[in-house]
Amino acid sequence: MTSLYLLIPLGVATVFGAIGVFIWAANSGQFDELDAASRRLPDNEP
Amino acid sequence: MSRDWAAFDRADLQSAVGQRRGNGLDVMIALDGMHCANCAARAERALGTDTQDVRINVAARTLAFHWRPGDVQLSALLKRLDDAGLAPQLLARSDADTAAVREERVAKARIGVAIVCAMQVMMLAWPQYTGAVPDAGIAYLLRLAQWVIATPAVIWAGAPFFINAYRALRQRQLDMDVPIALALAAAYLPSAWRSYTGSGEIYFDTATMFVALLALGRWLEQRTRRLAGKRVRQLAGRRALTAQRRVNGIVESVPITALQAGDELLVAAGDALPADGLLLETEADLDEALLTGESRPVHHSVGDTLLAGSLNVGAAPLILRAEKVGTATVLAQITRLLDAAQTQKPRAQRVTDRIARHFITAVLGLAAFGIALTLLRGKSGDAALDVALAVLVASCPCALSLAVPAALAAATSRLSARGVLVSNAEALLALPKVDTVVFDKTGTLTENALQLSLIEPLGSRDAASCLQLAAALEQGQRHPIAKALLRSAPNAPSDVIAAAENGGLHAFFGGRQYWLGAPEHVPVQLPPPPGVNTGETAIVLTENGKPLARFFFTATLRPEAPKIVAELQAQPLHVEILSGDSADATRALAGQIGVKTYAARQTPVEKLARLQALQQQGRHVLAVGDGMNDAPLLAAADVSAALPDGSALAQARADLLLLGNSLAGLPLAIAAAKTAARRIHENLLWAAVYNIAVLPLALAGLLQPSLAAAGMSISSLLVVLNALRPGAAERAFVTGVSV
Repeated sequence: MTSLYLLIPLGVATVFGAIGVFIWAANSGQFDELDAASRRLPDNEP
Repeated sequence: MSRDWAAFDRADLQSAVGQRRGNGLDVMIALDGMHCANCAARAERALGTDTQDVRINVAARTLAFHWRPGDVQLSALLKRLDDAGLAPQLLARSDADTAAVREERVAKARIGVAIVCAMQVMMLAWPQYTGAVPDAGIAYLLRLAQWVIATPAVIWAGAPFFINAYRALRQRQLDMDVPIALALAAAYLPSAWRSYTGSGEIYFDTATMFVALLALGRWLEQRTRRLAGKRVRQLAGRRALTAQRRVNGIVESVPITALQAGDELLVAAGDALPADGLLLETEADLDEALLTGESRPVHHSVGDTLLAGSLNVGAAPLILRAEKVGTATVLAQITRLLDAAQTQKPRAQRVTDRIARHFITAVLGLAAFGIALTLLRGKSGDAALDVALAVLVASCPCALSLAVPAALAAATSRLSARGVLVSNAEALLALPKVDTVVFDKTGTLTENALQLSLIEPLGSRDAASCLQLAAALEQGQRHPIAKALLRSAPNAPSDVIAAAENGGLHAFFGGRQYWLGAPEHVPVQLPPPPGVNTGETAIVLTENGKPLARFFFTATLRPEAPKIVAELQAQPLHVEILSGDSADATRALAGQIGVKTYAARQTPVEKLARLQALQQQGRHVLAVGDGMNDAPLLAAADVSAALPDGSALAQARADLLLLGNSLAGLPLAIAAAKTAARRIHENLLWAAVYNIAVLPLALAGLLQPSLAAAGMSISSLLVVLNALRPGAAERAFVTGVSV
């Protein structure tokens, strides 16, 4: 069970990484238009 | 028509159309010519690799991109889009818009962070609940980890609650945020202390879950209002950005910010007027739909006052002497009014706030009572804190505060997917009470487009050749009469070049002079032929000055109108028509769609009087209209709906916007509103029952705060899921109606 002493801090660090990525995504406008993608037809042109 | 885009290479104008970012500019433009995904692909190809961060919204017909001065000139990009047939229109950047975008991004980031943290904390708290912690060291570590993860959720994601609560308290007021902030602090601070010392219950899971659900509820609530506000601003943003100024006979392109009263401005055919002013030199036809809702072009004589935002739909350029520029124009004033209206707190919200204050006082009182009770029973301070926390959490109005916004948001999004835009979510609360529907006629029950109803030959030529001549003259014109003529004669010669003259169009061909225009401009006035209403639109064609033929136009009934009116009457709703048109035309139309109560030749004031009379009888009235003539009517009605082919003004004042130029959304909106009302009732009932059942348990100290949090979460989840459930009446439309 000693591995938990490493894994729990690692998990916490990962969560902070995820939070950072999420804030970056929101600030760069990734969530600005959530329904736009569903209205576009697939672009099959080369 | 190719436009001159060179003015957009000027630095002062660029800062008006885009937002500086780094070295470049974030530009947002409207592409009026973009209708499908194919057009979107065309736009992307037109931009090529010269821009970054290209975002295309086909539904809103907007294109956003990041432009860097070194790569290519902005004017070249615009010209490419223009050449691709996409009709680019630069949207004047509104500061409110960019602020709203930033705010929205932060709100979304807060919700996301709170949800991620809540899930992680929950997972780390799980071993504690199940007793599966192997040893004290791990237990201590788990608690520290929860503390670390809960901190950004409570402090950052929950910041708005603390800030609002602080503001409210400073103004000596209580609002919903005060007990929320208190509960958050009461859950977080002791838990942090206990994590540090390593003994006692911790409630980080409660606190994070709390923030996540509340932030989500708050965001849902605000979203509907913001969506509608964005549309309105987009319309208002479609004003001219450059103007052609004439100085000593030389015409130069200048940004409108540089205009001054007294400038002589040249407005090309098809362009929007950059300023309010007086018409000089020639007569002009203007489309003033943006300001007045009148869809037919209005003829103006020299010396008339013209308003910025109107379109010059005549064949020739017009000359304008600017009187009011920039923020002094009528258009700018209207835009400001709209912005103010958007930010105002709706009436129902204020009522909720008042009720909430009593509720909050009661909750705080109960929490204090819980502490006192527990201490009196001889328990420890820790136990008293647990009771207070359980009371605060259990009575948290999560489910209550989600009940209304979730149901309204669900109805709003279902409706917008089917072509009904709800600009005022409160209207959905008022809609189920409606028992009377008042329709305007022109443009509402009838199409905006005109139809050629009769050709009356007055000279030697037959009707068919007169039609060919008239259509040839109207070639390339855009107003409804021209469209009607061109539809009736698609094969008319297209090589005739007509010029505007004497309030009409004239041209020479075959050695003769032809003129087409309004009957008022012809010396000889003729009575209307039998079977034609005096109110109908007519134009006259002359050959060498002698009348050759008259053309009459009628507005056609919307194809879906009889069916929709019948559906409304079957609800049952009382349906009335208030028309500004002639008695004959109104009677005929009322007969066609089976409406018994109607009034013709109504002025806006009379329409309003009729509406108020209905309201005094205790009726709740839904008014359906299209333009400025209806604006007072729409504003005074309990609920208003507009068909957005009308004007920005009508759109701004109407609660419901029926997109797709069809009335079909009306019964749909009523069904959705009824469903929402039912869901709100169910949800409020559930929230009340839950709170009443749980509060005594919490007060008696029988409810662990973590259990209270779990119960609250499940309760909130039930409320949201229930709100998303469409009603039976609404489901019937899914198959039947295409909007």
